[in-house]
Amino acid sequence: MKRLTFIFILSFLFLAGNAQKYMTKNGYIGFFSHTPMEDIKADNNQVAGVLDISTGDMVFQALIKSFHFDRALMEEHFNENYMESDKIPKASFKGKITNPASVNFTKNGVYEVTVEGDLTIHNATNKISTKGTIEVVTGGINASSKFKIIPEDYKITIPGVVRDKFDKSMEVTVNMKYAPVENK
Amino acid sequence: MKPYIKVALFVVIFIVLAAILAALYMFNLKHIDMAKAKPDFVITATLLQKAFEDNETLATGKYTNKIIEISGKIASVKSLENNIVNISLVTGSDLSSVICTFPAITDPSKFRTGDEITVRGVCSGFLMDVLLNNCAVIK
Repeated sequence: MKRLTFIFILSFLFLAGNAQKYMTKNGYIGFFSHTPMEDIKADNNQVAGVLDISTGDMVFQALIKSFHFDRALMEEHFNENYMESDKIPKASFKGKITNPASVNFTKNGVYEVTVEGDLTIHNATNKISTKGTIEVVTGGINASSKFKIIPEDYKITIPGVVRDKFDKSMEVTVNMKYAPVENK
Repeated sequence: MKPYIKVALFVVIFIVLAAILAALYMFNLKHIDMAKAKPDFVITATLLQKAFEDNETLATGKYTNKIIEISGKIASVKSLENNIVNISLVTGSDLSSVICTFPAITDPSKFRTGDEITVRGVCSGFLMDVLLNNCAVIK
């Protein structure tokens, strides 16, 4: 288990070689849910992600403990009661852009894409499909998407009393600013 | 009203008020101010990263959720949205650093690559890098 993450991402980076890989370790994933009492919102600015522009393959990994809430108590409950982050520290996504041909990675601009793949949270994996945008900028690629997930799909149990206060789904926002991986 | 009922009533009201105040206090509790917090560990970026690379399970048990005061050389400064800044520190590895996330730095331009820095933050664990959150600059 020790270097699994490492090998997972490194193999992704180097096996296929050359300058088609883009990467970030400062990516953003946040989630949001409205409740009558208050909004539930958390931000994670330490998401690692790799994008292969030749195949459209995408991987993301994030630590659950890197999600930051305004309220300390909410963050504690999130980690201890819902996500069990001591036992299950990571969440990941592995998938691909289904229409990579529609993006011209050599020309600056904004392109609409569809991304499909496996999202693993709380040791539960579900197939997701979402629309997103790829923005080709000078010296990098920005990727963003918004989609909804349902906590119960990931075996996250929220007690009935609290459950009624939530929207059924959580809105997830993804925002990555990739830079090209330099080959040595 | 009999005096003892008055006393009992007073006690009950007092307890209810105290409970409401305690609940409000807990509910609104902010994160620990790292600038004032006492660190559980004082360590260099190189040694902390090495601890995780050598034995992730052991290092996770030892450092995760703990307040770490870490010193090292700045490898990169990234200004993100909402005034959030990520500063990564040089370690013994080319591929893995220590990434410190700061909730609010108003002037990130004063931190430059190569500067020595001391940071206090809570360790979230290890992904490809050691991750610290809720950080404050100490020196």
